[in-house]
Amino acid sequence: MTLSPPSRGPRRGRRAPATRIWTWFMVPGTLWMTAFLIASLVLVAVLAVGTTDSLGNPRFGFDLSSVRALTDPAYSHVLLRSLGYSLLTCVICLLIAYPVAYTIALHGGRFKNAMIAAIVVPFFANYLVRMYGWSVVLSDDGPLLRALRSIGLADSGTKVLNTGTGVVAGLVYGFVVFMIIPLYAALERLDVSLIEAGRDLYGGPLRTFLFVTLPATRQGAAAGLVLVFLPAMGDFVSAQLMGGPDQIMIGNLIQDKFFQGQNWPLGSALTMMLMLVLLIGMLGYLRRTRKDEAEARG
Amino acid sequence: MTLLRTPAPTDATPAEPGRTRLRRRRGRADRKPRVALAVTALFFALLYLPIAVVVLFSFNTIKSLTVFDGFGLRWYRAFLHDEVLINSLGTSLKISLVAMAGSVLLGTALALGLVRCRTRLGSVAGLIMLVPLITPEIVTGVASMLLFKGLGVTLSTGTVMISEITFSISYVTVILRSRVAALNPEVEEAAMDLGATRWQAVRLVTLPALLPAVLACSVLIFALVFDDFVLAYFTTGVDPQPLSVRIYSAIRFGVQPTINAVGTLMLAGSIGLIALALFIPRLFGRRGGLDLLSGK
Repeated sequence: MTLSPPSRGPRRGRRAPATRIWTWFMVPGTLWMTAFLIASLVLVAVLAVGTTDSLGNPRFGFDLSSVRALTDPAYSHVLLRSLGYSLLTCVICLLIAYPVAYTIALHGGRFKNAMIAAIVVPFFANYLVRMYGWSVVLSDDGPLLRALRSIGLADSGTKVLNTGTGVVAGLVYGFVVFMIIPLYAALERLDVSLIEAGRDLYGGPLRTFLFVTLPATRQGAAAGLVLVFLPAMGDFVSAQLMGGPDQIMIGNLIQDKFFQGQNWPLGSALTMMLMLVLLIGMLGYLRRTRKDEAEARG
Repeated sequence: MTLLRTPAPTDATPAEPGRTRLRRRRGRADRKPRVALAVTALFFALLYLPIAVVVLFSFNTIKSLTVFDGFGLRWYRAFLHDEVLINSLGTSLKISLVAMAGSVLLGTALALGLVRCRTRLGSVAGLIMLVPLITPEIVTGVASMLLFKGLGVTLSTGTVMISEITFSISYVTVILRSRVAALNPEVEEAAMDLGATRWQAVRLVTLPALLPAVLACSVLIFALVFDDFVLAYFTTGVDPQPLSVRIYSAIRFGVQPTINAVGTLMLAGSIGLIALALFIPRLFGRRGGLDLLSGK
């Protein structure tokens, strides 16, 4: 064997080969991701300024007609609707997730972990099956509307499916877990003595909540907002199952351009627009957190 | 009374700590956030209602999603006799197995490299690895499809496998990274001081220490890939198609009670796999497990 005795300069020359072997560990994974992910994203960007030939096949080139087509009201309406639905979904998720995370983190007792598991496990269940079940629940003679009708909160004309409400309900159901987990983590970390201090300083429950609990969990909420906004913006299943043809989102447009519509440059341009919106959101989030960190450091 | 209500610092009153504490705690308990509790209860009910509906009506004897006629296994039998669906099930299992093996292999190596190596390549690799996590699946799906078509590759089960691996590497790396960081590199160095080569140290010391986490992670990735729809939808060929793509085409066109049965089986499978992922680390003792519920 080529084992060198440890006495012969154990320090010398170990660092360099050590780094080398770890670098080699990264190579296959990074190459794979570059080849199949980065390259493909670049391809989308390139094709967004491409053209189609007379048969509808995509051709590379430099042509801004697809990008210009995005300003067509038909598309900008869909983009605005997607933005609106996604932001609304974020707000509703926050409103639902906060009390849930709060209850579990501060009043969950020894059932904390079990309750969080009970939230996470359905999330691992097939997304389509969950959405399908949700659409059955929200259907016109489904259990939810029947229950609401029997207590007089809805009349026979009330509909959820095939409306914007349905789409947002679908998005909320699909992604609310992404809001609960970071909020729960933040509330878990929250020092309860801070709340006690708030009470000791004569803060009422509301004031203590507004000035102590809420600021302390702002980062968790910000992370949750990004985690919900990202998939909500890109979703097309909810709009399809819950909204019908009048409620399509940008994801449905992209899907259409690549399958039925067969206009790949336009589809690529729409995809790039989606990425742009998300990038703006991400940058806003990063700036926010960096500012928070700077403040925390003083 | 007024004296008691004075907010004395808890530390400064060691004489009667019990009573003041008790009093204050009861005061808080009285103000249990009733609204929050109600929201939580309602949330759990609505979270499980759709799942309960799918499971319940999978045992229905008639083709209805609103009337439960009687308990039977009619739709499960229909599923077992549906050759297309059974084929899709096999395809999905194959895809999940291959994607699991590939992404765990590449992702574990990447996690080790990212934690241990602090070169520039390391930070670039770290950035690339984050891309799938901040890109919506539809974008990754569209991009993969364009890449395959651009390269002239016919979409098939193989292309689904490749994109699922690409997407899952990130998950594996994110999940395992903290486990790798928690390992003590000095143990490896001790092994080398005792005469092991670098590679032997990795193989005989580091990898066994990571094994429970790697196994748990593999199970999770299997479940995630099996349930994934968007990527599979964009990168699959016409035939055979993964199960979730079949489910999608089925539910787009109205009520399909067989889907309830398939969905129930998939739910049971996912829950079983998650339980397995959480259970694996216990087999190896408490160390080396995955902290799935917090962190992330």
